[in-house]
Amino acid sequence: MQNRAISTITALAGLLSSLALPPAPRAADASAPADTAALAQKVEDLEHDVERLKKKSLGSWLEVGGDYRFRVDSLRADVAGHADAMEFVNNMTTDLVSRQDPDEIARFMLTQDRAAQMDKLFSYFPGAMATNITAPQAAFGGFSMIDALAGMPADQVTGMLQMTSLTSQQAAILGSLLTPEVFGGVMANLTPADQATLMSIMGDPDKAQLFQQLVAQGLLGGGEGSYAVPRGDQKVKNNTLYTNRFAIDLKAKPLQGITVHARLLMYKTFGSGDDQAVTGNYFADRVGVFDGTLGHVPSSDFLSVDQAYVTWSNIADLPVWFSVGRRPSTGGSPSHVRDNREPPGNGGVPSLLVDYAFDGMTLGAAPDFDSLPGFYTKICYGRGFESGFDRDDDDNIEDTDMIGVALVPVDIAPLRIDFQWNRGMNIFDFPVMQDTVFGDTAPSVNLGDIDWFGVGVLSHFRDAGLTGFANYGLSITHPNDKVSFNAGNQGLLTGDFFAPENPEDKTGWAVYLGGRYDVKATGTSIGAEWNHGSKNWITFAPAADDAWTAKLGTRGNVYEVYLIQDLNLKPMSSYFARAFFRIGYQYYDFDYTGSNNWVGAPKKISELEDTDLALLAPIEMAQNIYASFEVHF
Amino acid sequence: MTRLIPAALVLFLLPALILTAGPAAATEKMVGVVYKIELAADGTSADVTVLDNKTDEKIHVLVDDDLTLDKFKDHRIVIDDEVRVKYDVEGDKKHATYFRKTAGC
Repeated sequence: MQNRAISTITALAGLLSSLALPPAPRAADASAPADTAALAQKVEDLEHDVERLKKKSLGSWLEVGGDYRFRVDSLRADVAGHADAMEFVNNMTTDLVSRQDPDEIARFMLTQDRAAQMDKLFSYFPGAMATNITAPQAAFGGFSMIDALAGMPADQVTGMLQMTSLTSQQAAILGSLLTPEVFGGVMANLTPADQATLMSIMGDPDKAQLFQQLVAQGLLGGGEGSYAVPRGDQKVKNNTLYTNRFAIDLKAKPLQGITVHARLLMYKTFGSGDDQAVTGNYFADRVGVFDGTLGHVPSSDFLSVDQAYVTWSNIADLPVWFSVGRRPSTGGSPSHVRDNREPPGNGGVPSLLVDYAFDGMTLGAAPDFDSLPGFYTKICYGRGFESGFDRDDDDNIEDTDMIGVALVPVDIAPLRIDFQWNRGMNIFDFPVMQDTVFGDTAPSVNLGDIDWFGVGVLSHFRDAGLTGFANYGLSITHPNDKVSFNAGNQGLLTGDFFAPENPEDKTGWAVYLGGRYDVKATGTSIGAEWNHGSKNWITFAPAADDAWTAKLGTRGNVYEVYLIQDLNLKPMSSYFARAFFRIGYQYYDFDYTGSNNWVGAPKKISELEDTDLALLAPIEMAQNIYASFEVHF
Repeated sequence: MTRLIPAALVLFLLPALILTAGPAAATEKMVGVVYKIELAADGTSADVTVLDNKTDEKIHVLVDDDLTLDKFKDHRIVIDDEVRVKYDVEGDKKHATYFRKTAGC
């Protein structure tokens, strides 16, 4: 057995050495030309075979990549004292039902299934019902001091006026409820004797004022019998939120000049198959998951299509391209620095202005210009909401669209400068979301338009390992005269709950600064970022990779520090394959309410009253300690 | 909306038209796929072979600008990438004056 093995090895060695060593000169060289010709033919055949195999191989036209991320977030926040608007409406409707007022009950039952959704505001038009009918009737109908007020002495009236003074929100709500129509309706429900008494009260300015204050306090004052229930300062936390995110990237080149990109994305929490653990009534961009945030806010184990678009490059042999599909309009520059991703290239968007999975298209040009290396410009269009068929007999909702122009005069590694203008048209009040704390939501009204302007500078010094950036953004809202009943009659950055105000343009601004230092020898990177948004700042970034809310939409300050440790392993699947750990800390310091929400006017959080009605709980401070393990392949 | 789109087009097209006009004289240009990159030992230049999309001809160009060399070094331009190249013919050498991945997304 052993001898046979040795002889086999010897034979193989002989064969190999005969192949490796140059052939011995032959006695007769007459056949050399024939051999050369045969070899040449063989080489040609081999080249042909290689070419044929190359054309048939997937690798010649398809690139596959992706990433996986495990992340843990530890979330804490302080909520300022306020009164939950949902609870207010719920208390009001419950009270009306308990009074068994057949007309009121019938109105509610006709507009929605209240029995099944007693804690839901956002179904059909209960908001309109609440503001136009239910609240006034509850306020005035529940008032029982007409006789006492009529006979009250003047000094007592003065004292009570001071005791029952109203907050600014209460005064505004009272103003909105005291319309002639509402007052007429209330009067019609009173007995003739009560009508006469009320008219006498209204004839005395002080008593009339006190009457109104008492009505408002009865409805909103937070005392016994009031529908508004004050909630003092509260703390919320989730010590450990684990998430899984997995993505597959495909890039196919079926034809010269044509590229098809796709990114399939799954993002879910540990131990949950929905978005309930990461959504709530704190921030508008985290009420639920919708089309623009699918795959960017943890929801389910479904692999959704985050990107799918085709690009036609080198049109007419010019550096011009056209691209259409579900766009790479998320994770734009300079957010890639923190996320440890490659720069998004000329398909990206400025992350300070846009982070939203848009369906849309782009026409771009990147001409060569010696003094402006890397220059490109593009015009982009996206549809944020498709309203479907218009009907003649309906107050139709318009499609929500965005158009933008990007001008990047310089885009090289040491310096990138970008200018951007966007306009969002027919901005909706609520996106289509299901099973949120507000029930199922959908756009019910177009509130107006928003203009955005942005400029950014990004520098990366490769040898020094230094990256720095500065971005500035401006938002200008253009509200129309419509308000959202579902949001308590608030408009585009205008009005308060149940207290609409005249539409007027509002300008907000934001600044975003950051830097990162890479220690090449150890594969360690440390970074720090700060951003500030003014009172009326509004961005369009609900898909941002932040657990609490898109930090770049904050009306206040956000500080963030992070550390990345690359494992420095040899890349196998591509040059950009990498594995790294990241830990970070975010601190949000909110100055105004409504960050990332364009419905309703922002209010200074430090001036909020415990009785102020708010649809979204006003968080004044939030923290997030996070850690992740990521693999890009 | 109807007024905005023409305005946006003008904003976009003006710089594009101005800057695409007037390419430098006596400069050859091509679009092709990177076939081979041979970096010089001292890292100050690279001999790059590009497969011309139109002719399937292999064109050898000399790249010596730092920005592009950096892209070779950190793999932002690799084999099989489609590139737009402009070069000056200097004797038997083709000296690249523009070497970038084709734009588009």
